[in-house]
Amino acid sequence: MITRGTTLLVCLAAIVSPPRLAAQSMRTYAASRPVTDTGIPLRASLDFGAGRVVVRAGDPAVLYATTMEYDAERYTPVQRYDPRTGILHLGLASIGRGGLRVTSREHLQQAARFEFAPGVPLNLEANLGASEAHLDLGGLAVHDVTVRAGASRSAIDVTKPSGVRCERARFISGASELQVRQLANLGCREVRIEGGAGSTTIDFSGAWSADTRVTATLTVGTLTLRIPRSVGVHLDATGRFLSRLTFDGLTRSGDSWQSANFAGAEHHITIDLTTNVADVTVEWID
Amino acid sequence: MHPGRWATVGLLTLCLGSVDRVHATVTPEPSATNLVDRVRNLLPFLVTATTLTPQAVEQAPAGGATVDPTHLDMPERLEHDLREAITDPIGQTRLTVVGGTARLGNYSLGSTETHHGHLVVLKGNAEIHGRLEGNLVTLDGDVVLHPGAAVVGDVLAINGRIRGDPGAITGSSSTLQPREVVAHVAVPALIGRRSLGLLAVLATFTVLGFALVTFGRPNLEIVSDTVMHSFGRSFTAGLLAQVLLLPTFGMLVVGLVLTVAGALLVPFAAAVYVILAIVAVLGGVIAVAHAMGETITRRRMARGLAVSPNAYRYVATGLMGMAGIWLAWTIAGWVPVAGPLTFLLAALATWLVATVGFGAALLSRGGIREDFAGRLLPAAMMTDEYLWATPMVGVPAVKRPPTADR
Repeated sequence: MITRGTTLLVCLAAIVSPPRLAAQSMRTYAASRPVTDTGIPLRASLDFGAGRVVVRAGDPAVLYATTMEYDAERYTPVQRYDPRTGILHLGLASIGRGGLRVTSREHLQQAARFEFAPGVPLNLEANLGASEAHLDLGGLAVHDVTVRAGASRSAIDVTKPSGVRCERARFISGASELQVRQLANLGCREVRIEGGAGSTTIDFSGAWSADTRVTATLTVGTLTLRIPRSVGVHLDATGRFLSRLTFDGLTRSGDSWQSANFAGAEHHITIDLTTNVADVTVEWID
Repeated sequence: MHPGRWATVGLLTLCLGSVDRVHATVTPEPSATNLVDRVRNLLPFLVTATTLTPQAVEQAPAGGATVDPTHLDMPERLEHDLREAITDPIGQTRLTVVGGTARLGNYSLGSTETHHGHLVVLKGNAEIHGRLEGNLVTLDGDVVLHPGAAVVGDVLAINGRIRGDPGAITGSSSTLQPREVVAHVAVPALIGRRSLGLLAVLATFTVLGFALVTFGRPNLEIVSDTVMHSFGRSFTAGLLAQVLLLPTFGMLVVGLVLTVAGALLVPFAAAVYVILAIVAVLGGVIAVAHAMGETITRRRMARGLAVSPNAYRYVATGLMGMAGIWLAWTIAGWVPVAGPLTFLLAALATWLVATVGFGAALLSRGGIREDFAGRLLPAAMMTDEYLWATPMVGVPAVKRPPTADR
């Protein structure tokens, strides 16, 4: 039985009850550019503060392509390419309303996909901020790659050999979880790891084409190096302040560790380790 | 149905209608324009973008609206400039395009034609059959590339699409879609979420407070008494401590680094320093809650209410009092002006509590020194009458509420 008084009360409550609040204002920006015959390598710099990011190989006829769904209240898209130098700046820039801070789960609704032409030499710098990123560098002609992960969870896969020689790979992680898998497919001459208060796992499986030198600087973090057992390993750990090092299968000599097969191995990995209050483990892949 | 019942149903319907109107003022509902946009996006070939009469846009006078489409790297900025340029009535829009021209309404470039310079098309589609040597921008319209078309430059469609053969563009192709509000937060849900958060924080502090009462009651009571008897001094000490916290930390680290043996202790000293600071602040806040709870409880007892005075009750009562300030924000936080103000007040009150608590914890050295706790009475007060009247346990005479016969 609904009485007049009850109805009035319901009405009053309904009228004074708060309305719904609009949350995010999302926009989609898409951009692409065809490959030209200039032969200039692409020097791409990606910036994406928060959300989900995918980087992968795309159409061979398209130099780069991107689709970004972003919060238009906080960010604005940027696509800047100089055909004379091959410098590309792609991603989101803060518009000063809320900055790059991720203050709620809604901010992570942003998403971006970046694709690059497989045949074009690529120098890639990815600034992932607080994004949840998945980079598949397989098939890309990567000459140099730098990945900066702030407070993110990132996975980098090299699912197939690139076919070109990579000069350098840099992985800089803050308070993030970074996983790099099948890095040998990239064939990098030099790998640099700079880790903060996070967890970094580098997996050197894949098709080995040349020797690699790894320089790792770690502070208050965890680093796991996963190395194929057939690869000869030499490791120098001169600075290791309050660090826990677990190098099973390596023979120690002073500040150096070496695998038994180092002299006879077809491929070698040399590791320079500097750690402060860190945890470093070498695991073997059979 | 009884006429009164009909009136009730009518009233209810009217009310629900009014609620919808309230919602509509905040959340943008799909309007007729949006609907057309949606259909146009779904069926771009069937629905024309606009019925605007195609025309050239005259150049703006000196100092008037100007856009430079040479670089399309910041599409939102360009969109903003273009929208600013559009006037009402739209036919009187004046716009200067650096290195190019502007058009209003649908525009078509013939298959035998070549357009030199940038082209900006406002509120219409750009149908390209011929050759365009320059950048092409459309605002609220599509770029349609027909067979044989060629654009030697970059293309940007704002609130539109690029259709046809993308290979006809030598530069970049980009599109910027309209805004979509993707998520709505219902206020009841917001209040519920914030209430749960407040409850969780309250529960955490209650557990910490009870643990402190169980394991460190004497220290807690001394800090609490310091808050009550030396409130201003505690606030000043807390304020100074906040200012000096970082410099002291720096001095500690530098001092340790300067000594050979001390350098090894830097990480431990840093960790201990941070932990001590956190414990001092948290313990101080709980001590303030204890002081608040004790005052409230004693006032209730003075009014004749039978409540058991114990430290657990004091802490719980005080914490609930503090939570009350945040409860106001939890309930009214969504209100446009009052919400942020309530938040500001709650934050200020919390800072005040933390500062006083921190200061009291420092003054009493973590509840060890009673110097500022009002427990040491001056010699002048130690009269025979006072000592005779003061009970050995229970409420000290100096704290007793005044009675009518005094």
